[in-house]
Amino acid sequence: MADRLSYSQIDQTVLDTLEPPGRTYWVVLAALFGGVLIGAACWVYQIFVGIGVAGQNIPVAWGTYLINFVFWVGIAHSGTLISAILHLFRAGWRNPIARAAETMTVFAVCIAGLFPFIHLGRVWVVYYMLPYPNQRNLWPNFQSPLVFDVVAISTYLMVSSLFWYTGMLPDLATIRDRAVGVRKKIFTVLSLGWTGDFEQWRHYGRAYLFFAALATPLVISVHSVVSWDFALGVVPGWHTTIFAPYFVAGAIHSGLAMVITLMIPLRKIFHYERIITLDVLENVAKTIIFTGLIVGFAYSTEFFIAAYSHNIVEQETFRWRAVGEYGFGFWIMMVCNALVPLLFFIKKIRRTIGWLFCISIFVNIGMWFERFVIIIGSVAHGFMPHAWGLYAPTLIEFGIMLGSFCLFFFLYLLFVKHMPSVSMTEIKEAATGKDAHGH
Amino acid sequence: MHMGTKHHIMGLFTDEARAAETIAALKASTFNLLRVHGPIPGHKVTDALNLKKSRVGYFTLIGGILGFFTGFALAVFTADQWILIVSGKPIRAFVPFFIVGFEFTILFSVFGNVVGMLTQTRLPRFKLPETYDPRCSGSHFGILAACPAGEQEKLIDFFKQKGAEIRIFD
Amino acid sequence: MAWDPNSAAIPMKKPVVIVFTLLIAIGLAAFIFGLTGKHPERAWQAYLINFLLWSGVAQGGLLFSTVMHTTKARWSRPLSGLSESFGAFFPISFGLFLILFLGKNHLFPWLHHDLHGKEVWLNLPFLFSRDVLGLLILYGIGFAYLYHALALKLKPAKKGAASPGRFRQWFAIRPSDAEPFQKRMTVFAILYIMAFAVVLSLIGYDLVMSMDPHWYSTLFGAYHFVKAFYIGLGALIILASISYMRQGNRSGLKPAHFHDLGKLFFAFCLVWADFFYCQFVVIWYGNIPEETGYVIERTMIAPWNVLAWTVFIVSFVIPFFILLNKNIKTKPVAMMVISGLVIIGIWLEHLLLLGPALNKAAHALPLGFSDLLITLGFMGLMAFAVTFFINLFPELGRPDPDPSDTRNP
Repeated sequence: MADRLSYSQIDQTVLDTLEPPGRTYWVVLAALFGGVLIGAACWVYQIFVGIGVAGQNIPVAWGTYLINFVFWVGIAHSGTLISAILHLFRAGWRNPIARAAETMTVFAVCIAGLFPFIHLGRVWVVYYMLPYPNQRNLWPNFQSPLVFDVVAISTYLMVSSLFWYTGMLPDLATIRDRAVGVRKKIFTVLSLGWTGDFEQWRHYGRAYLFFAALATPLVISVHSVVSWDFALGVVPGWHTTIFAPYFVAGAIHSGLAMVITLMIPLRKIFHYERIITLDVLENVAKTIIFTGLIVGFAYSTEFFIAAYSHNIVEQETFRWRAVGEYGFGFWIMMVCNALVPLLFFIKKIRRTIGWLFCISIFVNIGMWFERFVIIIGSVAHGFMPHAWGLYAPTLIEFGIMLGSFCLFFFLYLLFVKHMPSVSMTEIKEAATGKDAHGH
Repeated sequence: MHMGTKHHIMGLFTDEARAAETIAALKASTFNLLRVHGPIPGHKVTDALNLKKSRVGYFTLIGGILGFFTGFALAVFTADQWILIVSGKPIRAFVPFFIVGFEFTILFSVFGNVVGMLTQTRLPRFKLPETYDPRCSGSHFGILAACPAGEQEKLIDFFKQKGAEIRIFD
Repeated sequence: MAWDPNSAAIPMKKPVVIVFTLLIAIGLAAFIFGLTGKHPERAWQAYLINFLLWSGVAQGGLLFSTVMHTTKARWSRPLSGLSESFGAFFPISFGLFLILFLGKNHLFPWLHHDLHGKEVWLNLPFLFSRDVLGLLILYGIGFAYLYHALALKLKPAKKGAASPGRFRQWFAIRPSDAEPFQKRMTVFAILYIMAFAVVLSLIGYDLVMSMDPHWYSTLFGAYHFVKAFYIGLGALIILASISYMRQGNRSGLKPAHFHDLGKLFFAFCLVWADFFYCQFVVIWYGNIPEETGYVIERTMIAPWNVLAWTVFIVSFVIPFFILLNKNIKTKPVAMMVISGLVIIGIWLEHLLLLGPALNKAAHALPLGFSDLLITLGFMGLMAFAVTFFINLFPELGRPDPDPSDTRNP
């Protein structure tokens, strides 16, 4: 897997990425920041003028803000899959990409967490969602899936951040020991005094194992909770029992695609080719086949049961999804999520960088449209024909969406230049043929 | 760390297997094995050191149990304050409250895990020990041994025979 | 890792054969006795439950080998042979399915009912043919995988040794064939996994869910195949425990294998419970009468609620708390007991799902001594098939060959 690099070579490859960047970096960073500012401006405008500047209305009360929320939470999930679940399975190919994937998780959850704020009409009273003592004895309704979301997403954000940071400790010490000046002081604080004492390693190894073992059910529960925002309602196309596992599989599908989208430029620019090898990318591609098949299976099951049920509302919902006004979204979703990943069955395709990158983009687009089809397509065409209506996002929504994507890549770009984007510790462990962190 | 008449010498190895052999030899010798540092928790060294099992798990478990009851208690308490029947569901509905309990279990387990790890490893400490070599976070395994005054040369030879690089602290 | 090619995990000695034959005879007798009695539908109910349970065990058992092969797992190699031996039950399962249709008038509550259009799907000829086709495909792919797996495990005959019988020669391959066989084995493994998901979902919908023809749940198919993998793992643990207890290290197994297998078993305990909860919470919360009737009848109304809680405790709560402990997972005897308990629990779960549909307005659980005897008969069939297969191919005790090891195909 990681071909036999020496420890010093591993260290040097990663430390080289932390050197002061060139002009291109600053230009791209500035452009991304510009995008963030556009998004922020749109949001501020929305706060002052009102939620009506966005396109949602009756019957489609949830629009791109919810689509993006689910999209970003989904992206976050495969980061935890790679760092936690594959650690439990002792899959060595995760080691080169685990750090970058965990980082993707933390930032994606942050972005996702913005959207519940954004989609509120009165952002300034968002604290109502928290259970704090007050004079009127008003409390959140913990029976509501929206409140489950508050609990689940906050938990996920805290747990992912702690997991991410804990994973970085030995690497931060490595940087501290080779830095000078201000940077040395910063990393001395950040590394918490880690010295690699084997007394420390034994506690660290246990803690890391528990992190992985706890993060795994957390990942499954968080996206199940997100799916239940829809499934616990009675809207046709939403109220279906398959949603929880289907959303989890879809989340991992989109996240793995985003991993490929991020890793390919990263390894090129940072010269990580000997660490993030083609074998690693191929394994990600193979996992995408698996999640793509699950997603395709879920699509087929929904149609099968709609036909089986002989429930005219269900049948109309699914008929309209395929041929109605939003049919283009449905077909994008089907082709990009279920069919295109099957190309990865061909070895040559999954080992060619160009194909890997293109297919990953297609899957990302497809998964965004899946949320579009589910969220918008179901409420637009519900039980009552006289209440059917359409929805189109407004420029403000597009602005905010642009801002969210730019914010993600902005944070990511900041991270990779100042912190170790590949885990030196885990690569060294893999280089000795052993598994990471104490197995 | 300065213990009067004792000398502290660190032997640094790039080969984990040799480091593990040295540890075994040190344990059998009259020198004091103080600490071993390494860039990874190598299996051979870990086995040679034969340390006790970590107690971090207990912190995690206690956190989890606390979290489970906190989650449920919070949901039940808030439902009891309002006592309003919503959508025909019972006031204390354990089917949805289970989710709240579950998430809090995970959250508090993780807090317990972090508290356990920090207390057991005695981190953070912002002043590194004087007897630490930065090569240990890179490619070397550093074995710190102490010897009484006068035996310094013996200890240095001992390490040199095993193929170590030497760092003398005092 | 030593293995003895001449001794199988469970030898096919006379006492063993007698015990298994006796079990099968008891089961058959009880079944026929039930058929000729006043309530033949009870006998058919027991038959259906057992057919689903034991077929699931076999299908899930083989799935372990295919999944481990596809993911190129290394820890599981000594277990793959035992997992593959469950494939021996496939022809028996297929035969049992054909016999199932003799009981059609006692099994399918929707026969002769007005299904308001659903007859296009729920009619006997179509149901029968699609399920037969599904099982043929699943079992066919399974056998193709087994053939390749065995061919790679069986050593070609040494010079001077007695030449193997015609049957074994069918499996002999040249060393140069090893690589294409590996590739084809992977293809069949992937096809098996896909067929497993589709065919078991179909069986779940056709033979369990549609017994209540007006209820539906999109997750039911997946729930059915997850259950099958859960009990398949349990059965594999039992088989591995027997092998280890009889042969010790010669089986190629170590306590670490039981630990890993136990962890996987624990994981699927959680997955099974999760899939149950996913259906339950959605139906409970939506509170739509079309959907809730099925669930209320099974979980909140006597006599079925008692059974529901029993299943929950036996197949989830007990294994969950016990399997959290690391040491228990390394003890084969303990794992055997827990796995057996889980399989009994899932047997009861099948009764829970099917019972209310097949026994409308029951006052007491339709569970009796005859059900136990019929179950013993099916268990005898499974035991016989697996033991026979292991003795036919003692190499199944041999670890899966390392694909990177080109010296020993």
